[in-house]
Amino acid sequence: MLIALGVVVQAAVIAGAWFLVLNDLDSGTVLDKNSENNWAHVAHGQIGVMVMPLLALLLLIVSFFARVPGGVKWAAITLGVTILQVVLAFAGFAAPIVGLLHGVNAFAVAGVAGVAARKAREAGTTVPAEPATVS
Amino acid sequence: MRTSVRAAIASVAALVVLGPLAWFWYDSLVPGTYDMAAMGYPDYGGGPAAAHRHSDGISVADLRGPSGTPAVDVTLTARQDGERYTLNGSSPGPEIRAERGDLIQVTLVNESVPAGVTLHWHGVDVPNGEDGVAGITQDAVAVGGRHVYRFVARDAGTYWYHSHQVSHEQVRGGLFGALIISAGPDDPVVQVHTYQGRRTINGKPGVSEFPAAAGTPVRVRVINTDAGPIRVWVSGAAYRIVAVDGRDLHQPTPVTGKAVLVTAGGRVDLAFTAPGRVDVGGGAAAGPGEASPEPRELVDLLSYGSPAPLGFDPGRASRNFDYRIGRRIGFLDGRPGMWWTVNGRLFPDIPMFMVRTGDVVRMTLRNVSGEVHPMHLHGHHAVVLSRNGVAATGSPWWIDSLDVADGDRYEIAFVADNPGIWADHCHHLEHVPEGLNAHLAYADVSTPYRVGGEAGNVPE
Repeated sequence: MLIALGVVVQAAVIAGAWFLVLNDLDSGTVLDKNSENNWAHVAHGQIGVMVMPLLALLLLIVSFFARVPGGVKWAAITLGVTILQVVLAFAGFAAPIVGLLHGVNAFAVAGVAGVAARKAREAGTTVPAEPATVS
Repeated sequence: MRTSVRAAIASVAALVVLGPLAWFWYDSLVPGTYDMAAMGYPDYGGGPAAAHRHSDGISVADLRGPSGTPAVDVTLTARQDGERYTLNGSSPGPEIRAERGDLIQVTLVNESVPAGVTLHWHGVDVPNGEDGVAGITQDAVAVGGRHVYRFVARDAGTYWYHSHQVSHEQVRGGLFGALIISAGPDDPVVQVHTYQGRRTINGKPGVSEFPAAAGTPVRVRVINTDAGPIRVWVSGAAYRIVAVDGRDLHQPTPVTGKAVLVTAGGRVDLAFTAPGRVDVGGGAAAGPGEASPEPRELVDLLSYGSPAPLGFDPGRASRNFDYRIGRRIGFLDGRPGMWWTVNGRLFPDIPMFMVRTGDVVRMTLRNVSGEVHPMHLHGHHAVVLSRNGVAATGSPWWIDSLDVADGDRYEIAFVADNPGIWADHCHHLEHVPEGLNAHLAYADVSTPYRVGGEAGNVPE
């Protein structure tokens, strides 16, 4: 669930980042290779390459120990699309058209993480004795 | 039983996932102090092996400029005030002018830069010990310390100087200035720098003037001290690109309706008849009159001017190096991220290009990393032979700073005639601590200086 929430945060900060840039341009700032990323760009980058893959990795580790039917599978898929998201992000610098897929794949990350969370919740309700993972 | 087996399998699975990650993390760690010349792996470029000798070789510390009475004697005092850096109270620092053959002496004094400072003479092929790279050719000058640089102004042209200690912050913050050798007394210097999002010329935003009566010839010396390429064009007059990186072009032809790309760290000299206005983008310009719209088209230096003898035969190269810039996920000194690679490897596991004095060297620069890289070789000028397989047909195009766009492949050649250990890195200075920092090393040359260490040397 944290991962799906992370996608929402990422969408919010990247939109905010570009509005900040447009706002800076209005006050005469030059946007070029010298431009430092604003705080929202930095947040998007840090969450994207550090926090999100770490969360997906933790989900996979936890899924090994938790008895959730299909848990490992869905955790692995979540990690897979998260890594794909990072790859698409950097591929976008060379081929900006790929950047469109980065946007689309964000929904896949949120969707797959949602499925993994539901699997964990279902397992938690049917077998209450077992520790359920809510990610 | 079933539970314990399950737990065991889960633990093994967790180890299988985490183990390699932990190993990659550990393997990427760089020691706190190290000899740059001993990093990475030697690449002999197909020539004879030429190992570093650490005991009986030449020390970088002995490769210094000549003694004698300097013709130009300057003291530069570095100060830091927050993110702002100055030399003798201003940024850019004082413009240093000298004549060809002059012995230049510069005393660098660090008044208040806690991280330490150095000065690198960008584009001037100085003896290695005067190159000003912290941790390789000297120790960074600590607060209260001083360092004397001495070198002969051998080649006329437009150059600049800047700190090569924590340079991605210090150059951005203003620790740089112009160095002009054998210029006309009235040649305007246009130092382009972007301070906190404001593009400036010689420190001033907007349009500045230079004195030039209508009808007189002008030679404007443009220096890009920024991190990215800029487009420069002249409004109101046809212009000729008479020099690039301190080397005159042969038989340059008049240009109208096109801009010239100046890579980060690079210089161009533009000649035209006044009045004319030089625009560098971002609203900054020098000269009278109105700006014409920014030309879409660029002058291609590969076919500009006409050929002339190079003075050496690149066909007789004794070493051929590959310098392929890529980007991949990995750990750099324990930090996860997308890092620049050289020939597919991450710093410090990158090639050390090994040469011997007198070698003719060819190098193929390839960029498959997704972003532009202004590649800067210290201590040498190289000539461009081809781009993407198309041979150069214009004037010999000598460079010390080359704009290698994403997807481009350049072949360059130079004569290894300046012994030392030379940085060969990207001049988008933020990229250097991100791994884009290879070196050219001469056999038998070693350095007593260390990156890190007590002096806190951070050449990046």
